[in-house]
Amino acid sequence: MGAIDGILTGFEVAFSWQGIMFVLLGVFVGTFIGMLPGLGPISAIAIMIPITYGMDPSLALVMMAGVYYGAVFGGSTSSILLNAPGISGTVASSFDGYPMAQQGKAGKALAIAAISSFAGGTISVILLMIFAPMLASVAVSFGPPAYFALMLLGLTAISSLSEGSTIKALISAVVGFMIATIGIDPQTGTARFTFDSANLLDGIDFLVIALGLFAIAEVCYLVMNRHKSMGGSGKDIGSLKITKDDAKEMSGPIGRHSILGFILGILPGAGATIASFISYITEKRMSKNPEEFGKGSIKGLAAPETSNNAATSGAFVPLLSLGIPGSGTTAVMLGAFLVLGLQPGPMLMGDRPEVFWGIIASMYIGNVFLLILNLPLIPYIARILTIPRPMLISLVLMFSLIGVYAISFSVFDLYLLVAFGVLGYLMRMFAFPAPPFILAFILGGMMEQSFRQSMTISNGQLSIFFESNIALSLIALSVLSFAFPIVKNLRGKKKA
Amino acid sequence: MLKGVNRKIGLILFLLSAGYLYMSFQLPTYPYIPVDADAVPKALGWVLLVLSIALFFTKDNDTEEQKAKRHIPKKDVMALLGVLGLLIIYIFLFEIVGFILMTTLFVFFCSWFLGYKKHWVNAIVSIVFPVFLYSIFVFLLQINLPQGILPI
Repeated sequence: MGAIDGILTGFEVAFSWQGIMFVLLGVFVGTFIGMLPGLGPISAIAIMIPITYGMDPSLALVMMAGVYYGAVFGGSTSSILLNAPGISGTVASSFDGYPMAQQGKAGKALAIAAISSFAGGTISVILLMIFAPMLASVAVSFGPPAYFALMLLGLTAISSLSEGSTIKALISAVVGFMIATIGIDPQTGTARFTFDSANLLDGIDFLVIALGLFAIAEVCYLVMNRHKSMGGSGKDIGSLKITKDDAKEMSGPIGRHSILGFILGILPGAGATIASFISYITEKRMSKNPEEFGKGSIKGLAAPETSNNAATSGAFVPLLSLGIPGSGTTAVMLGAFLVLGLQPGPMLMGDRPEVFWGIIASMYIGNVFLLILNLPLIPYIARILTIPRPMLISLVLMFSLIGVYAISFSVFDLYLLVAFGVLGYLMRMFAFPAPPFILAFILGGMMEQSFRQSMTISNGQLSIFFESNIALSLIALSVLSFAFPIVKNLRGKKKA
Repeated sequence: MLKGVNRKIGLILFLLSAGYLYMSFQLPTYPYIPVDADAVPKALGWVLLVLSIALFFTKDNDTEEQKAKRHIPKKDVMALLGVLGLLIIYIFLFEIVGFILMTTLFVFFCSWFLGYKKHWVNAIVSIVFPVFLYSIFVFLLQINLPQGILPI
C-alpha cells in the first residue's frame, strides 16, 4: 500500500462517525483531566487505557492521542485562570497568561491560547505527516544492534529529564530498569526476582507503575492540600474577542514556535515542557519590548502555547516511526499501544496503515475540536475546578484501581499499585524525578532483548555494535545527547 | 555519619543494590548463551551500587521548597494513613463483597473522612459513580468486575 492510499485510509478512519466521536471524547476528557492540578497527560492517558479494552485499536488510539493533546491544552486553562498549571508543559503559559487574567482579560488570554494551540498543533501535524513516514522507511532496515542503539538514544532523555540532580535521575532510571527485569526472562525462561510468587511471573504491568507513580502519588499531595479551594471559576472571564492588532502580534510567534516546538518535541527528553520554556525565552530575547514579558504580553503567551502543542505532535514522530518513546508521556502512550496488541515502530505504517495514518489524520480534527470546545465552552469546563477535593481524591483513586484490575483481574496488582503509589510519593518528597523511572521501565525490557539478540547473532562479540553505520552513529549521538545536558549543567554551576 | 537526607537514602539504596546483586548471582546460567539472564541484572546492580555511593557523598543542595515538601504536618500524616487504610480494606474485600458495594462505601467514607460535608451529594455520587462504571465495564466492554454478594 502506498503512502497516498495510507493517508486516505487514515482519513477514512478519522472522518468516520466513530472516529469523530472518539476524537471528540478524547480531547474532551483530556482537557477535563489536564485542567485538574497535578493530573497531566501521563495520568490522563493511564486513566483512560482501561476504557479502550476491547475497542478497535485504531479508534482507541485516535482517542488516546486526543486525550494527550487535550490534556496539554487543559493544563494551560488552569495556568491562565488560576496560575496553577495542571502540568509542567504549561508552566510557561502562566507567566503572561495569568497576568492577563488578573487584568480582567482572561477570555482574551484563553482565546489566544486556544488559537495558538490550534495553529501549533495543526502546523506540526503537517510536519509529522512528512517526517514520520520518512523516518519509518529508514528504520525498517534496522537490525537488533541498531535498535539497541536507538533505545539507548531514547534513554539519554534521562539526563535532560532530571530536574536538578543528575544522580537522582539516574538512580530513578536504574530502579525502573530493575523493575523491568522482574518476571520470566523471554530468552531462557529463567524466573527472575519473582520471590516464587506466581503473580510476578509475568512481570509488573506498566499500568501499575504509571498509575502508581503518577496518579496515586499526586493523590497524596491532593490529600495534603484537601482544604485548599481550587479557586473560583464561575467568575467573569471577560470578552473572548481578539482584535486585528492582537492577531498580527500573535502571527509571528505562532509561525516560529510551531516549527521550533515540533523539532524540540522529536528530540528525546525535550517534550512539551522544555519546548515551551525555550520558546518563551527565545521570544523574549527576540522581542523589541522584553520588559512587557511577564506582565501580560500576547507574544509571551502565544509562544509557549504554540510550542507545547507543536511538541506533542513532534513527540509522536519517534513513537510512531521508531517505536521509541522520548518522554514519560510517550512511554505511557507506547504502553497504550502494547495493551491494544500493537507494536509501534517502522512496521506499523506498512502493517496497520489505518492505525498509523488514522492517528495522524485524527489530529487535524482533534485540533479543530479543541478550538471549538475551548472557545465557547471553557467557562463551563472550568467548573470542574469546583469539584470538592475530597470527592476528587476518592474518584481518582477508584479510577486507578479499576484500571489496574480490569487489565489483570488480580488483587495482587492492586496492592502493588498502592505500593508504587507510596514509592511515587516518597520519590517526589525526596526530589527523585519519576519520568526517568517509567521511561527506563518501558525501554529497559526492550533494550535488554535487542542487546541479547545482537550478542546471539554475533556470538558474544561486542563489535557488532560498531559494524553497522546506523548503530554506530546512533551510539555516538546517544553519548553526545547524554553528555551535553550534564556538561551544560556543570558549566552553569561553575559560573554561578 | 547519617546526617543529611542523601546519606540516609544513599545507604538504603546501597543495601537495596547489594540485595539485588546477591539475587542476581543466584540466577541460574546455561552454557552456549552469550548473554544470559543474569548479565543485565548484575550490571544494573553494580551501577546502582556505584550511584548509591555517589549519592551518599553528594552534598544536600535541596531548595527550601523541597525541604518544605518533606515536612508533613501530623494531621496530614493521619489523613494519608487513613486513606491508605481505607484502600487496603477496599482491596482486601473487593472480590469478596463485590465492586459496586465496596466502591460505594469507599467513595462515601473516603470523601467523608477527608472532610466533605454535603452528605446527600456524597451519597448520590457514591452510588451513581460505581453503578455507571460497572455498567460500562460489564455491559458495554464485556469486562467482568467482581459482583460479590449482589445478584448482578
